[in-house]
Amino acid sequence: MKKITVSGLKYRYPLTEELALKGLSFEIEKGEFIGIIGQNLSGKSTLCQALMGLVPHFYKGGYGGSVWVDGLEVGKAEIHEIAQKVGLVFQNPFTQVSGSKMTVFEELAFGLENLGVAREDMAPRIEHAMELLGIGRFRDRNPFDLSGGQMQRMAIASVIAMEPEIIVLDEPTSQLDPQGAEDVFQAIEALSRRGMTVIMAEHKIEKIARYSDRVLLLHQGEMVAFDTPQQVFSRDDLERYGVVPPVFAQVCKGMGIRNPATGLYPMTLDEACDQVVNWHE
Amino acid sequence: MKALSLYQDRGTVVHRVDSRSKLLYILSAILIPAVLPGFMPGLAMLALSILILATGKVFGKVLPLVGFSLLILASIVLIQGLFYSGNKQLLFSLWRFGFYREGLLFSGGICLRVMNILCAVSILVLTTRPSDLIESLVRLGLSPHLGYVLSSVLQIIPQMTATMETITDAQRSRGMETEGTLLVRMKAFLPLIGPVVMNSLVSTRERSLALEVRAFSARSKKTFLNPPQGGTANTVIPLVLLLAMAAAIVWRVMQ
Repeated sequence: MKKITVSGLKYRYPLTEELALKGLSFEIEKGEFIGIIGQNLSGKSTLCQALMGLVPHFYKGGYGGSVWVDGLEVGKAEIHEIAQKVGLVFQNPFTQVSGSKMTVFEELAFGLENLGVAREDMAPRIEHAMELLGIGRFRDRNPFDLSGGQMQRMAIASVIAMEPEIIVLDEPTSQLDPQGAEDVFQAIEALSRRGMTVIMAEHKIEKIARYSDRVLLLHQGEMVAFDTPQQVFSRDDLERYGVVPPVFAQVCKGMGIRNPATGLYPMTLDEACDQVVNWHE
Repeated sequence: MKALSLYQDRGTVVHRVDSRSKLLYILSAILIPAVLPGFMPGLAMLALSILILATGKVFGKVLPLVGFSLLILASIVLIQGLFYSGNKQLLFSLWRFGFYREGLLFSGGICLRVMNILCAVSILVLTTRPSDLIESLVRLGLSPHLGYVLSSVLQIIPQMTATMETITDAQRSRGMETEGTLLVRMKAFLPLIGPVVMNSLVSTRERSLALEVRAFSARSKKTFLNPPQGGTANTVIPLVLLLAMAAAIVWRVMQ
């Protein structure tokens, strides 16, 4: 089942000349884990926000083409309607705290209160979200007293509590320490295993290679490739797009080790290890 | 965390009374002494407020507030005692200045009123969580957007102060002098305030995006996580206060 259909999406920010997105078209299936890569200013964040409707509704500006999310046309719907289908998580955990709530539990209720969810339905949804993200033990803490990684998991949980079917993450770990980033990645992986459609823009290429079903490579607002990580990271022209392939792929490329079945370079540690062992025998 | 609030979490019976009753109490503490003549109603109200503050175990926290206002009150007593327009009966003289009975009584009335308001408001401020207060105001019809502004300010301003400190430290570590003469401090101000303003503009944009994602602008009716504070006390107290205010007005009109 197609969860997201983007066709001919073009977008220009107000007061700018150049298009930030230059006619993107792709489809995403239910339950897929999609990685979005590309150098800075390639349009990753803009694309993430276009899936949520912040582009064009929040910024205004020039918009063309269409984005359909679960039967809803993003360009014509309102953000709060889309918010029930798509959850969006940003880079900076601090600015995602609403600031009006005194405890983590109340913070998670913020979106539900806005949507007008009945009181008796709130607690189970919040409990479930806290459990998924492993932040149950912080429930009575002040949101601002959490560490970056905990705060980011709270931000994800507060989006999850709104029960979207798709979650979009815009570089969710770029401001976190390694441990915090790892915790966040594991939480996202858990969501993906539960059948949620996950779309993640990220610079940590090894993580993208490990978790993604497909990788979307953007360059200057255009889609260069949308394929499996093996296909995308085995391209010879990656450098031109400012993307460095995963370190395992680089090593295998240097040694000329390819997966004999596909003719592509291995992407993850396990895969690379297998191929190196095979190559030796 | 540093919060911009005077709330004291003591968990007493006063803390459990809902903020609507406390708001009504403020109204009665102002209205009843104003409507009834003489000092007695004001004194009685003040005694009641102090009793409530003591029950809430927050009386100690009122003293600095009172101390602060004493300065202003003292100046009122001084000026009215000396120069009140109705001054006739000389009470005592200090050096060359005469203090008059009428002026002192008049300023006594003002002081009593100020203390009354101060204590009544303190009951609300010291024993109610700010978020509960704002939530009950939103329930009473305050716009949820305005409610959000009020409650987020309490937490976001301390965050901005923390950012300011970080930026100060960062600039200082690059060799900027932030302490010293007035001129040095003024020179340091611009390189400090620039990043702070830019930083808060960026985070305001990010926060408003994050709020949109959480359906902040949804037009459907908002619900609340916490149930409204019910219980007999929270229906009886407003009723008693309303009756007391009505009685005072009626008595005054009948006079």
